[in-house]
Amino acid sequence: MNIKHKDFNLSDLPKHNVYQVPEDYFDRLPTRIMSRTVAAPTRQWLPVQVWQTVRVAMAPLVLLVLFVGVFYLADKSQTEQQFNLANVPDADIVNYLTAYSTVESADLAELNALKRQELTADFLNVSAADAEAELEYYHLRDTDY
Amino acid sequence: MEDKEILEKFANPDSRNLAFNQLVRKYQQKVYWHIRKMVIDHDDADDLTQEVFLKVWKNLENFRQDAQLYTWLYRIATNECLTFLSNKKKKFFLPINDVAAELSEKIDSSPQISGDEIQLKLQKALLKLPDKQRLVFNMKYYDDLKYEEISEILGTSVGALKASYHLAVKKIEDFLKQD
Repeated sequence: MNIKHKDFNLSDLPKHNVYQVPEDYFDRLPTRIMSRTVAAPTRQWLPVQVWQTVRVAMAPLVLLVLFVGVFYLADKSQTEQQFNLANVPDADIVNYLTAYSTVESADLAELNALKRQELTADFLNVSAADAEAELEYYHLRDTDY
Repeated sequence: MEDKEILEKFANPDSRNLAFNQLVRKYQQKVYWHIRKMVIDHDDADDLTQEVFLKVWKNLENFRQDAQLYTWLYRIATNECLTFLSNKKKKFFLPINDVAAELSEKIDSSPQISGDEIQLKLQKALLKLPDKQRLVFNMKYYDDLKYEEISEILGTSVGALKASYHLAVKKIEDFLKQD
């Protein structure tokens, strides 16, 4: 066949196997393979059917273990907190509450002393004019109630 | 013996060896020739064919029957070929063209390869293709597999396989026309 012809197509070429094997190769190959399987056990951790059944059964079991675990850990944590609080001396608790009470009173006193303009500027970080403009933007309607 | 019967007998420990022997006899030539066309050398193909069937022996019990047995065998054989060729490239620190040149040299020198000039030239032209494209060409041209079957074996879309095959044919025809 002239393969230099411009119209050469692969489909025109007859399919031919150029490779050969030794004589009786395919007669002997199964025996050689079988002899190697003796030393190589099948890989079967769990049969497929058993694994499928176990897999379905394991789902609720895993959920149960998770639930028990979370419940146990939460209970243990709460018990530890109660235990730690019981160890704090009464004097320390009284001091703590006194200090807290003083701070809250001071805050309230400070708030009372502030004028409206200062309250807006210091606490809301916005000018009174901006706050009013913002309010004007939204119109209350009866249906909002 | 039908594949289904082979698998049923393999599941029974008493008839496992008999069933596997039947499987090897049924598919040994398909597996061997698929590998041989990729690795060229008979001894390499012989080693790989045995490795493929050993893997089949170890994993057949877990074979999911939603795939066909022979496409599963092809898939294992294909993976073995690609791994072998990849290792060959890494082992000798050679770029792909040098491995292709080594295999091409075997076509000229091996006593177990013979044919007329055009047939040998076709084999050398195939070695110019990337490994996966060569696999696609072999499975379509020589083994007459359907694109859907090749898709199942290689895990590639049918469209991509069609494009790959037609490109391969064009490359080969161009190569054969050149010299």
